Amino acid sequence: MLITSRALIESRTLLERTKLAWQFYRQEYHLPQQRLLRWTQTILLIFMLALTQSSFSVQQYLTQNLQGLLGADAKISQRQPFTNQQVNDLSEQVKELVATQQIKINFSHQDSWQYISLKAVADSYPLQGELLTATSLAGNTEQSLTGPKQGEIWFDSRLFASFNLKTGDIVHIAKQEFVFTKLIKHEPDRLMAGHNVAMRAMINIADMAKLNFSENLINYRYLLALDSTQLSSLQDWQQQHLPAAQLVHKQGNHPLALFWQRTENFIGLASIILFFMAAIAIEQIALKHQNKEQYFSAVCMSLGASKSTGIVVSILKWCFSLLLLLPIALLAAAACHWLIIHYLTDNFPNLQWQWHYGLSLKTLAFISLIFALFYLPVWYSLLNSSVGKLFTSAKNTGSNFGQKLVSVAVLVIVVLAYSDNALLTMMLVGAMLVTIVLILLLSWLVLTLGEKFTQNLSGLLPFVFFMMKQRLVSKSTQILGVGLSAFLLLFTLMLMHDLGKTMSSYQRQHDGNLMVSKATNDQLSYLKNWASEHNIIIRQNKSYMQAKLIEINEQSLAEHTDKPSDSLATFSREIRMHWNNQLPSNNRLLSGTWWQADSDNWQQVSVEQEVLTDMGLSLGDELTFIISGQRYSFIITASHEFKPGNGSITFWIQIPTAAIAHIQANHYSMASLEVSEQQQPLLAELWQKFPTLRMVSLQQMTERFDNLLAMITKVISGFSMLIILLAGIVILASINAVEANEQKKNSIIMSFGFNRMTCLKLNIIEWLITAMIAAAGAIVGTYLAGLLIYKSQFSLNYQPDFVWLFVTLFIILASVTSLGIIASRKSLNSSIRQLMTE
Amino acid sequence: MSSTTHSSNIQASYIQLRNISQSFALNDTKVTLFEQLNLTIRQGQSYAIMGPSGAGKSSLLMLMSGLELPSSGQGVYVKDGVKGKQESSLEALRPDIGFIFQQFHLLPELTALNNVALPLKLRGDKEAISKAKVMLTKVGLQDRIHHNPNELSGGEQQRVAIARALVFEPRFIFADEPTGNLDEKSAGDIANILLNCCKDSNAALIMVTHSQVLANKAEHVFNLTHDGLTQLKGYNTKIGHLEAAC
Ligand SMILES: Nc1ncnc2c1ncn2[C@@H]1O[C@H](COP(=O)(O)OP(=O)(O)OP(=O)(O)O)[C@@H](O)[C@H]1O
Ligand SMILES: [Mg+2]
Repeated sequence: MLITSRALIESRTLLERTKLAWQFYRQEYHLPQQRLLRWTQTILLIFMLALTQSSFSVQQYLTQNLQGLLGADAKISQRQPFTNQQVNDLSEQVKELVATQQIKINFSHQDSWQYISLKAVADSYPLQGELLTATSLAGNTEQSLTGPKQGEIWFDSRLFASFNLKTGDIVHIAKQEFVFTKLIKHEPDRLMAGHNVAMRAMINIADMAKLNFSENLINYRYLLALDSTQLSSLQDWQQQHLPAAQLVHKQGNHPLALFWQRTENFIGLASIILFFMAAIAIEQIALKHQNKEQYFSAVCMSLGASKSTGIVVSILKWCFSLLLLLPIALLAAAACHWLIIHYLTDNFPNLQWQWHYGLSLKTLAFISLIFALFYLPVWYSLLNSSVGKLFTSAKNTGSNFGQKLVSVAVLVIVVLAYSDNALLTMMLVGAMLVTIVLILLLSWLVLTLGEKFTQNLSGLLPFVFFMMKQRLVSKSTQILGVGLSAFLLLFTLMLMHDLGKTMSSYQRQHDGNLMVSKATNDQLSYLKNWASEHNIIIRQNKSYMQAKLIEINEQSLAEHTDKPSDSLATFSREIRMHWNNQLPSNNRLLSGTWWQADSDNWQQVSVEQEVLTDMGLSLGDELTFIISGQRYSFIITASHEFKPGNGSITFWIQIPTAAIAHIQANHYSMASLEVSEQQQPLLAELWQKFPTLRMVSLQQMTERFDNLLAMITKVISGFSMLIILLAGIVILASINAVEANEQKKNSIIMSFGFNRMTCLKLNIIEWLITAMIAAAGAIVGTYLAGLLIYKSQFSLNYQPDFVWLFVTLFIILASVTSLGIIASRKSLNSSIRQLMTE
Repeated sequence: MSSTTHSSNIQASYIQLRNISQSFALNDTKVTLFEQLNLTIRQGQSYAIMGPSGAGKSSLLMLMSGLELPSSGQGVYVKDGVKGKQESSLEALRPDIGFIFQQFHLLPELTALNNVALPLKLRGDKEAISKAKVMLTKVGLQDRIHHNPNELSGGEQQRVAIARALVFEPRFIFADEPTGNLDEKSAGDIANILLNCCKDSNAALIMVTHSQVLANKAEHVFNLTHDGLTQLKGYNTKIGHLEAAC
């Protein structure tokens, strides 16, 4: 101190002050609260950097695909050919259009087979963007200005690899010959065509006609070039003339939208939660810093240094601590970013790792601002420190309440500015404010009443209540810290749990290892013969037709609901409509009554329960479908749900068998079969005959699903881990912040003739009370946040599972309490001796 | 007050240090504070320990109160209770001791009254508040009972600390430089209050001090230096005296 004190007085230039700051920084480096501060700041930096980089990469990827590489400004598609009139109307409304057709077939070549998506493109393809091709896997990628010529076929790399082809090979589809000429590296309209993982092949549209596929198996689409003013009139036109068609435009609602929106919202939410967590942690640490820094600057001044020296040194010290974190934080963030991108490439092919420098600078500036905000009270208090403070041991108490309020307000504004989902932020902030008020109120109430009612009891409990009540201000800050982090943690875990559950509910129990998802009647009867011939069991077989929901109670879907949901997303495409006379054995009736067999009233419909609630439907509502170009209306008379155990094929929408007589449409079947390993080669023959037969092997189906689930789980649990980590830090910080006080309190209690055991017991009781109040706040906060956020942000129905919630909360709080007790054992190492030497 | 009954019943509890030595190993060198030290502290009497800084005065207090163990030698606590005299180790002293510190060490969030009531509350005493009030009146702070420590002067804070140390009626009070932080005038006041209150409660007062004025008010005065403990004042205890049979 002696050497430094001389330096202090003499330090007038910035360089000298910087040296001094560096020296103090080194001295304080190993202090526990410094370490904690570093940890919090590092984690926050890593998180925010990695997060902004990753979500920016993904968003950029999406935008690129949707715009520059989108291949079109919009796409209109339907299951029927467009009439000449319709094409004429369409071309008048847009700048340009290109016809494409797509069909899913089973392609076989030399005894092996693959389910592929075959695309036929007109000569003017591509409309926008680059069509990239190559002649071999290792060959140079070049831009092709048109698609395949007649008689040519192009394959994507995966298909190419799996068939061991080389250019010039002849392949057959439905008896037609094609020459394989090029490898497709990139199709500009791929994303707009809908996300699917099938292997791909491309031919000329003129060849498609020769293949003679049945019209209703082909997806007809037009890629459109238009400007945004043309879009709304086009939408009106489509509503009127082609209500069953699907119009996708680059301003949103692409097929990945809901999926991405949920993940993005979760990430957004996690980042807000982390922000607040970090705020709490840093606030608790700053509390302790304030006194130290104040003392430090008072010492400086008593040695003759100016007030500005104290502040400048403190600010420089802060800068050092932040600057020295940067290299580690940047490296770790880059690594995390790389990992995230790596995980995402399964679902976002060709997504590249890239460091966005400008963005990282912006993020850094932003976070530094927040750190500085938390540190502001320290500097502010330095302004007010005086030599006198050295001698009166007055600690700043309730006076900084207003200051706290201001920093909370600034924090909210900053987070709002940062997050692009203001509604979500406000909801979370609202739930947090309610939680804060509740915890403060509860603390006051529990401690007051506790003190009052235990007054006449003996034992340590009344004493603990008395002490806690007396130290209400500092205690409630601690309870708040614990309660808020418990709330945020619990909510994150609940959301993660429920999102996971939603995902896995898609996973039905399958029977049979081969699923035929679409077979025409001819195909089905052939299939039946073929199966009995080869001793293959058809487990299940159900008929359906394809229908597109267009109106609910004579309102269009868009008018009916604007809340995105899985159901709504599915209804934007054609769905399968099943008919029957009785409730299927793998369904359970939930409301209404099932129709009588051969009832005259054929315009009845039963809707799956989850769809019903998702779409906000009720019994008695009228649904209008387009089936084979005709309108049909049905009244909802029942709702059903899937009942496991009797086969997996189930339908959202079911109508009476009697309706079939009134509806002109193609009938298809879904079936599940059990094909043994040895019988697998038989399939090739089947597909050679029916290339359009849609078959999926079970492995393939579950694999797709598992990949998706695994990816979401990875992203979500990654963020949850960060939240858990920060929650731990918050708790350590809140213990650390009061540690000195606790230590002193314990010493004083010991000076009254008590031993360590008594102090330990007191600490345990105190932590239990803290945990209980925090728990009450956390559970109410979580409930409220769920109520506000689930439906509006995640399109999930909020049905809190209280048993799960309480068990989780109990685990959280048990860990918190143990952590608290373990950490406060340290303060038990105090002794009366310390009181003497202090 | 019960303190008057105290003085008549229990006279002869005492702490005895026998051939006590204290030393520490500091960076491979052995630092010896004192060796072969003998001392008896009797309930109801007052003792002052003086000596240069670093001589080991505070360490001696810790040994006497049984909170730290000596390197060699033995400390015993002879307690005169209902069952007659009982000798035990200094561990047993715990419930019977109180401390007063140079830095007062009041809990900042608590009012003077609550600070004083604290040890009684911990013992589950239902009259904690009223007893604390009586004690605060004794130290002359009846008008300041609802003030927080930071609203009190140093002397007043020390008076609260004295009330707090005495309120649970310990038999021995250890005070480490109780007036070290105070000006002369209030140091004198505090010294008088401290001595009087201890006498009233029939508690032994063992204080470490640098102040000759304060030391002179004690019945026994010792000087601790690196050469050992010498008695400067006092009558019935010889230095190095050892009671042979107990
Ligand atoms: N546990 C320990 N380990 C090592 N050295 C110790 C320990 N406890 C005390 N000391 C040393 O013993 C010496 C005496 O300390 P003590 O606090 O008893 O002195 P003191 O007489 O009370 O001095 P002062 O008047 O300054 O308060 C000091 O040099 C101290 O550093
Ligand atoms: Mg000392």
